[in-house]
Amino acid sequence: MKNFSRKQFLKTAAGAALVMATRVFSTPLHAADKFFREPPWKRKKPYWGFAVDITKCIGCGRCADACKTENEVPREAFYFRTWVERYIIRRNGEVNVDSPNGGMDPFLPPHDPETVTKSFFVPKLCGHCENSPCEQVCPVGATFKTEDGVVLVDRKYCIGCRYCIQACPYGCRYFHPVLHVADKCTLCYHRIKKGLNTACVEVCPTGARMFGDLSDPKSAITKFYETETTNVLKASMGTEPKLLYKGLDKEVR
Amino acid sequence: MFNLFKFLRLSAAEVLDGDWRYYAWMSGLALLSLAGLNAYSVQLVHGLGTTGMSDHVSWGLYIANFTFLVGMAAAAVMMVIPVYVYHDEPLHDVVIFGELLAIASIVMCILFVSVDLGRPERVWHMAPPPLGKFNWPDSMLSWDVIVLNGYLFINAYVAGYLLYMKFLRKEPLKILYIPFVLLSIVWAVSIHTVTAFLYQGLAARPFWHSSIIAPRFLASAFTAGPAFIILTLQLIRKFTAYRIADAAMLRLRNVVQVAIAINLFLFASELFKELYIPDEHAVHMQYLMFGLHGHNGLVPWIWTALAIEAVAIALLMLPASRSMKWLNLACVFAVVGVWIEKGMGFIIPAFIPNPLGEIVEYLPTLNETLICVGVWAFGFFIYTAILKAAVPILTGRLRLGGVPYTAEAGMEPGGIPKPDFGAGFRPQGARWVDPGPPGR
Repeated sequence: MKNFSRKQFLKTAAGAALVMATRVFSTPLHAADKFFREPPWKRKKPYWGFAVDITKCIGCGRCADACKTENEVPREAFYFRTWVERYIIRRNGEVNVDSPNGGMDPFLPPHDPETVTKSFFVPKLCGHCENSPCEQVCPVGATFKTEDGVVLVDRKYCIGCRYCIQACPYGCRYFHPVLHVADKCTLCYHRIKKGLNTACVEVCPTGARMFGDLSDPKSAITKFYETETTNVLKASMGTEPKLLYKGLDKEVR
Repeated sequence: MFNLFKFLRLSAAEVLDGDWRYYAWMSGLALLSLAGLNAYSVQLVHGLGTTGMSDHVSWGLYIANFTFLVGMAAAAVMMVIPVYVYHDEPLHDVVIFGELLAIASIVMCILFVSVDLGRPERVWHMAPPPLGKFNWPDSMLSWDVIVLNGYLFINAYVAGYLLYMKFLRKEPLKILYIPFVLLSIVWAVSIHTVTAFLYQGLAARPFWHSSIIAPRFLASAFTAGPAFIILTLQLIRKFTAYRIADAAMLRLRNVVQVAIAINLFLFASELFKELYIPDEHAVHMQYLMFGLHGHNGLVPWIWTALAIEAVAIALLMLPASRSMKWLNLACVFAVVGVWIEKGMGFIIPAFIPNPLGEIVEYLPTLNETLICVGVWAFGFFIYTAILKAAVPILTGRLRLGGVPYTAEAGMEPGGIPKPDFGAGFRPQGARWVDPGPPGR
């Protein structure tokens, strides 16, 4: 003890306290969590992923319709678990985006078609993010991630504070007008558990939507993830969605 | 224990007793609260569709008022610090009104959050385990539940203890309240910081995702809170026997002076960052300040707020506001300006345009407005009731062992002239009069 001055003691104590605090707080925090682990699909079986090939989408909107039918989503035009947007890029750089009734109604021909340089359809849905902000902010843990990587809402536990709706950068959540809770894409969890495809993938006539098990090295989705040139929406947010797009234009938000 | 019961009973009797103006004021507030309750029952049956909120603007006036009131609650610290840390004389006798305002504000905060819930009957899910399932420490909302309830407890305890001791005519024991007072200083900063982090932590809403929000919240809270307390003190000394020196007002004026300057400076800093090099995230500020693609619902709001805050800061900086008339005007402007700035100027623009780029504007419905008015009226009701009981305890009129002044003495203990009760309060009724020995 002879060389152990009070200053040293305080230094040591502060250091120890800092280490302990870091340990205690880093475990549950999302940001810290991701540095300590490998991708979950290397550890867990199965682990679901989704992909969209924008170059194949024809904007028929059957996915949006099938989703509403399968999941009993309210039919009004504001409630969608998946929807299709049409982007029209014009020569002067102007961008028009429309989505008539989520793509279920016909897309009308654009005005001044001679000024249009390109146009494409972008189907959207929940990305079931690895670092999902919606799960992070839910005050009661009603939003959670399943073992197989699907972000779900417990409708019986949600208190309807709508904090998760603010937290989602992709606008994928809505407030259920009858149940008064937050609602979103479940990746047709009731179907995939039985080995079926999601409803939207099932009805897609061009194969623009893809769904599968990322933990299976031979699956089509794994091949798509590994070999195609893809991108995610708003990559800078660090949410790491498991929804990859092929042919994503820079104008897509 | 018997004394505590007596304290509560006499305070309640004091709350129920008053002149016609007091009854008119309280009845009016009760009526407005009931109108709000009625509007809330409509919302309960038909859901949040009765509000102006939508999936695009999914938080509205409720959360805006909540944010503002967290600031009002936190502002008590601007009186606690001078009194308990710097032993400021003029504020010493009025610091308790700040603490009581904090109690009423937190009650309003809790009500505003509750009316915003889609499933209010499940609010117990937010309780700590094992009762609920608490997503702590991940969710900032769960932090907010802890700090707001903690702050309510601390202030209720400190103010209640001091009033009770005053009632018993005993010196309060320092060990029993000073630690809580010091805790309340840190805690007050924490409630508004956590509330700011609630917004600041959302990367999805670039308008909120700014590191300046917490300091801005504190600056605006320390503008509106003390300004509101000045107005309260003016009313207390107009309508009750409680003597409040101009010095206390002027000390609070100093606080508001500095805080409003910092608040406007921080806002200007934010404005510069957003508009000097407008990136894609600047659209919210552009919508707020100038409108976007022909939509300009918030433009009149924010410019009104800035204009009256400018008048307020000018008045506060000029010597004119040493006179109480101008000071009151400046305070009203400061409170209203900050209320707009934190509500229509901060909560709403974050949603417009939404993450997908759609512009859907927001205007509260009548039903929603009625609920807000109801909550405010209930808050004022509570604050008035607490003050009604607290003031006679502080003047020494309401205390254990009877009424201290007598007709022949004509003086309060300590040589304070007997107050003119005709102004606001009926002289002591006969119910609990026990003349006892005059004075101490």
